[in-house]
Amino acid sequence: MKVFIDPPNSLVLYDLVERFGHQPLSAMAAIQERVDNLEVDMPPMNVSLDDVVKGLKYAGVEVPSGIRGRLALWGPMIEEADAAIIMDDCPYSFGCVGCERSNLMVKYLIKRRGIPALHVSYPEDDEQATNFVAQTKEFLEGLQ
Amino acid sequence: MSAERETRLLMISPSSMLTPDQLVRMVHSFGLTVTVKETCYGCLIEASAETAREVLSRVRERYPNEVFSKVRAYRCSDPVRCRAQHGTRPGYAQLEEEWSLLPRIQHGLEEVEKGAKYVPPAEKKRIPVNDFKKICEAQR
Repeated sequence: MKVFIDPPNSLVLYDLVERFGHQPLSAMAAIQERVDNLEVDMPPMNVSLDDVVKGLKYAGVEVPSGIRGRLALWGPMIEEADAAIIMDDCPYSFGCVGCERSNLMVKYLIKRRGIPALHVSYPEDDEQATNFVAQTKEFLEGLQ
Repeated sequence: MSAERETRLLMISPSSMLTPDQLVRMVHSFGLTVTVKETCYGCLIEASAETAREVLSRVRERYPNEVFSKVRAYRCSDPVRCRAQHGTRPGYAQLEEEWSLLPRIQHGLEEVEKGAKYVPPAEKKRIPVNDFKKICEAQR
């Protein structure tokens, strides 16, 4: 099954989803499509003007273009996903920093789609990490 | 994702005794058609999607809980990103943050392998008013 991960660039979540036998939907794959096919030639910008227009499907015109650009990447993946794993209470520099509104919109879009979603807390110690891995494993193994 | 090219990032957990050099030598020893670039945190591999997964599964056979992996959007040494070619050099904030988290995840994976189950955390309750009063009075 296709599992959307939030933060979408997380190594830990990507690895765990793949390890337990599902296909992670990540920001890297979406950017790779643009790098390989659309020839994005102005990094660190990973989207084109057209993408920002496509983002209008997920966020209103009054929303800053940065959010629309991000949602142009992540929105189609959320539509494609069969399930989602969301990490809450992350430190400031974990995940796609710089725009909390985008992260809130992503959570809202996942909730609106009604797909099975697991909310996990950022593990602060070994005990929490064991719980985090066990919870993720149970969730992923339970997806049919 | 493109089926032709898959660039993967292999990151070694800081609590592992494996070094990036050993990891790169191991990947080379598989004898598969793959480009490998040694980095400070592990290595980057670039190959067809099938070969990249083959490399990952062989690395996981040997180091199941010590090496973590995700795909990377840009190619190895992509001129627009690579420091050696004056790319945009955006830094490694996310990788650094996750690198420090990996020992805990490694511990979690090992415990789960041993049979650890998810234990829901104890529910936080509000403190009764009388108990709170006692605390306040003790602090006077």
